[in-house]
Amino acid sequence: MTKIIEAEGLTKVYKGKVKAVDHISFSVEEGEIFGFIGPNGAGKTTTIKMLNTLATITEGRAFVDGHDVQKEPGAVRDSIGVVPQELTADDELKGVENIMLAANLHHVKGAEARKRSQELLKLVDLEGAADRKVKTYSGGMRRRLQLAMGLVHMPKVLFLDEPTLGLDIQTRKKMWDYIAQLNRERGLTVFMTTHYLEEADSLCKRIAIVDKGVIKVSGSPAELKQRLGGDILTLNLADSPLDLTDFFRGIPDVSEVTKTGQVYRIKLPNTERALPVIVEGVIKKNMQIKEISFTKPTLDQVFLEVTGKSMRDEDASESDSVTQNFMMERAR
Amino acid sequence: MIDETLVLSARALKKWIRNPAAVVPGLVTAIFYIVLFGSSFNPTNLISSGSGGVPLPPSVIQQSFGGAPNYITYLTAGVICLILVFNMAFGGIDLVLDRQLGFLSTLLTAPIPRAAIFLSGVVQNLVKAMVLALLTFAIALVIPNGLELPSGFGVIDFLGVFFAFALLGLGLSSVFTAIALSLKSIDSLVAIVNFLTLPLIFMSNALFPSSSFPTWLMDIAGVNPISKANEAARLLIINGNLSSNQVSTFTGDILYLLGFAAVFGLIGYLAGKKALSAQ
Repeated sequence: MTKIIEAEGLTKVYKGKVKAVDHISFSVEEGEIFGFIGPNGAGKTTTIKMLNTLATITEGRAFVDGHDVQKEPGAVRDSIGVVPQELTADDELKGVENIMLAANLHHVKGAEARKRSQELLKLVDLEGAADRKVKTYSGGMRRRLQLAMGLVHMPKVLFLDEPTLGLDIQTRKKMWDYIAQLNRERGLTVFMTTHYLEEADSLCKRIAIVDKGVIKVSGSPAELKQRLGGDILTLNLADSPLDLTDFFRGIPDVSEVTKTGQVYRIKLPNTERALPVIVEGVIKKNMQIKEISFTKPTLDQVFLEVTGKSMRDEDASESDSVTQNFMMERAR
Repeated sequence: MIDETLVLSARALKKWIRNPAAVVPGLVTAIFYIVLFGSSFNPTNLISSGSGGVPLPPSVIQQSFGGAPNYITYLTAGVICLILVFNMAFGGIDLVLDRQLGFLSTLLTAPIPRAAIFLSGVVQNLVKAMVLALLTFAIALVIPNGLELPSGFGVIDFLGVFFAFALLGLGLSSVFTAIALSLKSIDSLVAIVNFLTLPLIFMSNALFPSSSFPTWLMDIAGVNPISKANEAARLLIINGNLSSNQVSTFTGDILYLLGFAAVFGLIGYLAGKKALSAQ
């Protein structure tokens, strides 16, 4: 795999005192979706700005598509597409005019520009609204147009800065579909920032959690969640004098067991292997399961562990704790 | 570079034409100055000679106003300069908005020469202002007792007049584009522009002949490029066919304006480029 983005000790100090990004190093492989996760003010946007030549680099080095960002900004600009946090499409121009403008500014002209504009408008489901002025668009339509505008010159790397900021959950999921599809079908490398952990979890192959300008931890979402020690199984058993705590602790894939009344909380690093053993053991001991549920560890928990604070805000909270709840009434 | 400049200028002008609210105020200002200010100030009746309140003979007025048959004929060039200055200055608002709304950032991450971004600012402001200047000229011509062109005034003279204005506009547009690109808020732009525009106009012969000014103001007005553009334009508007003396004055003015456009174009370009570099 080729490293398409490489940052070495990247640092940004604003006005000689505010250290927005503090010696971060990371790399992004060609064809992957890489997520920069962190609260507002963590240094995500500043990192993007350094990589896409908007901000100077105070210290360190960065390469995009093999070009030194500081020495060959022009070559970097040729390779990248940028979808900024702000909605920059022009209100007074039609959707199609905006995307044609983006094409022309990237030296895509004439018939080719028209062809690609139509294709992209179709991809983001804006064909019907192409001839309407952008001022009549909803927030979600604007974001979609913005995405299309960043793609019209077929960049090798797409920078997405908070691509779903302020969108409702349905529209957000739709955006994820577009991004995932582009990555899958065109092999587009995506460097994205977000403060929606669910978004990072569902889209990104690898993520880095940043806080106060520093990368706290990086890896695939699954790896990071694994660090928490696995899924939590909650087992509610019918009244019985038997205490199964020691029995559960004896199972190889169980890392932690706590008991409150008849409710056992069991930490499982490997649910697939441990779950059948647990259920079988309970049944063999003639115990009745009243309720069984398990909680997958979330990136929010990872975030809490590495930064000491929760990432949740009203916006991000609605469904990023994936709780799978299933009732198992076993009448025996 | 020329290609990107044209693409960007076309975008700005498309927006301008589609939004009448942006075109009308400039035109209204021109009408106010020509029709209201120009008509209300009638030196022939205003300034009486002697105790009997006898109006001055028209020839005296003509002498004071460079031979113009009436005040509006004299004033038209000045109002066109005023329109140029105000539109260049406030045209910068669009550029500040482009920065505030993030459009500028998308330009800066695209493979576009920075010079094209600066140039498109100059071109869009210049084109907008020149369109308004032409409309102002037309308005002055059609109103009763308005601009009276001499019998010899032809297409060449018309082109000469607007060539002088275009050179003035080019220099002004470069300066104001650089200022707008350097600023992050509309408030600061308005503050700077208010500080610059009125003195630029008042310290010139735009509204009144500078021969009546106190010496210090006359000296400043003498080097103000606005005065040079007015002088050149008025020579043609008032006289039509120029005498050899007038031709040399006209040529001197045009050379002065060429120098102004070149020097301030370069200063504006360098300042604009600096404002567009990564921060």
